[in-house]
Amino acid sequence: MADQKKLFSQFYDQYIERIYRFVFFKVNSHEIAEDLTSETFTRTWEVFQRQNIKNPSAFLYTTAKNLVIDYYRQKGRMQVISAENASIIDPAQDLEEKMKLDSDIEYIRKALIGLKEDYQNVIIWHYLENLPISEVANLLDRTEENTRVLLHRALQSLKQKISLG
Amino acid sequence: MTDQELIGKIKELNQIKPKKEWVLLTKEQILGKEAERVLFPFSKPVYAGLFLLLFLTGLFETSQAALPGELLYPLKKITEKGRTLFASEEKKPGVNLELANRRLEELVKIAEANQVKKLAPAVNEFKESLSQAAKNLTETQKITDVKIIVQKTQELAKNKEIAERILATKIETEELDNALSKIVSEQIKDLENRTLTEKGEEALTKAKEYFESENYDLALIEILNIVQENQKE
Repeated sequence: MADQKKLFSQFYDQYIERIYRFVFFKVNSHEIAEDLTSETFTRTWEVFQRQNIKNPSAFLYTTAKNLVIDYYRQKGRMQVISAENASIIDPAQDLEEKMKLDSDIEYIRKALIGLKEDYQNVIIWHYLENLPISEVANLLDRTEENTRVLLHRALQSLKQKISLG
Repeated sequence: MTDQELIGKIKELNQIKPKKEWVLLTKEQILGKEAERVLFPFSKPVYAGLFLLLFLTGLFETSQAALPGELLYPLKKITEKGRTLFASEEKKPGVNLELANRRLEELVKIAEANQVKKLAPAVNEFKESLSQAAKNLTETQKITDVKIIVQKTQELAKNKEIAERILATKIETEELDNALSKIVSEQIKDLENRTLTEKGEEALTKAKEYFESENYDLALIEILNIVQENQKE
């Protein structure tokens, strides 16, 4: 049990920031991101004690993704958050974020939020979290070639959103 | 913007991070749940007493590292309160000054870790303990152990300097200064009525100068030198 706990503690340290960021991009609120990330790790720990999780990264991202879907389903919210809404939803947190990030990066964050889900995920996983194409392909349940095409399209779509302002 | 520039900007989004406190607390909450289940084998009466003892000992020990604003902090204060209650009247000023020092060390730790939320409770704790130390110094009829007062006020001055540097703000210690002023003044009066060696007289002159310039800790060091010089004879 102690070994299991130690191992999970390592997973936690390795993935907590990534999962938090991933959820934050979806819900655009630090408070909700904290709740859903915490639930993601709680559920993963429950499964982890019963069975061997071969790919913790995939398991965590899938659990987080499902919890975000449940969150929007339960609340009857629209999952697509427009860039304008981003600052209205959580003004205090947004202000805090603005202080941390320069306006250029804040601009990219808002553009990223406006992308469709697959585009958003592929950019977050590959460019932001540095996951190799093979792992992104696995997370998206696509072939590697297909994932590369998706990545290219996602980047162009992001570029277009930025240029349109 | 080129693709490479855009990718570079995307990578900078990793500046978005959860609060450190939340990360630690959540980990504790998740893995702590398991600890509760592990307790069951100890539910037999034969183990219960032993376990409770171990648990309380561990809890008290852990609480000693707690910082203001944390769950175990009140426990730490209780154990410290016990120390002051059982200390003799002569030792109380030293113990209280040590506690004020601890509060200042906590403040430094919090400021260094940039734990903004804990800053206000830490400042209040320090003010309170300093006030208590000053009150105790003023109320004590006669300071018998000047050495410990010197040692503790020096530590306090050093910690205060560190805290002021990190917080980029001045920390008021007026109450303590007033209490020290009273002590130094009384000690000087007392020494003036005694026969001192040449060295002792020199130290007393210095002590008076420091007293005039409100450098009470330095004045106390001179007083301590005189006391130690007298004890040798």
